[in-house]
Amino acid sequence: MISARGAWFAVVFLALVALHYTLRPVLSWHASVDFLAIAVLLVAVRARPGLATAVGFAVGLISDAMTPEAFGAGALAFSVVAYAASTLKAAFFADNLALNAVFVFLGKWTADLIFLAAEHRLSGSEFLVQALLWSPLAAALTAAVGLVVLVLVRPVVGTPRG
Amino acid sequence: MLVACVLLSLVALVLPASLRSTIAGGLRGSIVVPLAALQERAEVSRRAILAYDASLRIADSVRLRASQTDVVSAENERLRQLLGLGAALTWGFVPAEALHGRGLGDDYTMTLTAGRNDGVVPFSPVVAPEGLVGMIETVDASTSIAIVWPHPDFRVSAMSADGTAFGIVYPHLGAGATRFLLELRGVAFRSALRPGTLIVSAGLGGVYPRGIPVGTVVSELRTAEGWARNYLLRPAVRLVDVTTVMVVQPRRAKEGVAAVWQTAVDSALRMVVGAGDSLAKRRADSLATAERARFDSLQALRPRADSLQAAKPRADSVQPRKPRADSLRAVKPSAAAAVAPAARPRPTP
Repeated sequence: MISARGAWFAVVFLALVALHYTLRPVLSWHASVDFLAIAVLLVAVRARPGLATAVGFAVGLISDAMTPEAFGAGALAFSVVAYAASTLKAAFFADNLALNAVFVFLGKWTADLIFLAAEHRLSGSEFLVQALLWSPLAAALTAAVGLVVLVLVRPVVGTPRG
Repeated sequence: MLVACVLLSLVALVLPASLRSTIAGGLRGSIVVPLAALQERAEVSRRAILAYDASLRIADSVRLRASQTDVVSAENERLRQLLGLGAALTWGFVPAEALHGRGLGDDYTMTLTAGRNDGVVPFSPVVAPEGLVGMIETVDASTSIAIVWPHPDFRVSAMSADGTAFGIVYPHLGAGATRFLLELRGVAFRSALRPGTLIVSAGLGGVYPRGIPVGTVVSELRTAEGWARNYLLRPAVRLVDVTTVMVVQPRRAKEGVAAVWQTAVDSALRMVVGAGDSLAKRRADSLATAERARFDSLQALRPRADSLQAAKPRADSVQPRKPRADSLRAVKPSAAAAVAPAARPRPTP
């Protein structure tokens, strides 16, 4: 039973990663949905902090492979967010959908902020616009999609571990 | 684990650019390959979607331009016809733009952009290249209003083009599709008209001169009166197509315009025949040129048996070249020499 659930979980995780590299480029919105963040958070609330951090690091490294200028920034951001999510899941990941949405929103925004701070590409007003306008917008969109994903996959992969 | 991952990330961030690129390239070449391929496909799909929109826009604009070209061509054709009509009328006419209203009653009248200052007077016939449009009713300084043939008060004495049947043309006041047709009433019972017969103005009544096409017979109308025949006519002029008209001034109308539409038809026929002739002539010329070229090339390849003979001076060919004291022909030896070889039958290859 557990292995079947684990297999479904892996499928959902891979599907989210695949969506990140297929749907996101097609939509090409300025504030776009971060499916990788959803996938990392989905793992983080179901795994121990160590495993969650490792998964976050691996996903971040994969995303960094596409942007060599900021190589390591994504890994750092997702590692920290995955660890934090895995640690704080008891407080956040209740059955309340609004709380789940806030969790995804904060996770994505925090990851963006860490990424922006680590990559040192933007500065001044550009950094502020990206950090305070586009990142929250992207986080809100990601939270909305993440909520839908959570609702859809909950019957298949089960509720998060407390 | 967190500390290890954070440390690794920080190390990755501070690595030299070349080393970071190498590691990133290694990842892209190994575990990220499927994801990179997916992203590439997605980008291609997005470009295809955008390109489709762009190509659709281009196709739409080309289609729009093509439709506009048709409209412009039709307008040019009509203006050409109008120029032909003007050339046939020669004098005593005022060209005017016809403004179509879209309100109630605008089916019956037409505003023209020529008025008293241009020489337009009431009761002047309004014509188009196809035939009769109507009659000027009201004239202002720079505009005038004409009643057109669907107007309930429109009347014109008319006859068949061969002059065998006379009657009065009225608008057909029926309902539905036949509303915008005409009626030829009061035709003598003995004068039966076939469908397609051209009806022209008869010149009686003093407004419309003789010979302006009014319409063609569609069918006979059954009426209770037994002493005359009535016919349904298809108007010569479609009002929706009318953009420019000619107002025929009364002096010109008195002179008669009977030959104008005939001339216009003849000139159109002449143009068509002329165009056909020129095409045929061009084709014949090109065929003859090709035939001649073929013949010449064959002749150039084949030694001619009479080539030596031809080189010899012949008694009848040398003589005309001699200057003759009593002849004017000697003045034009080149013409005779030019005609002679052409008149000679050419040997078949």
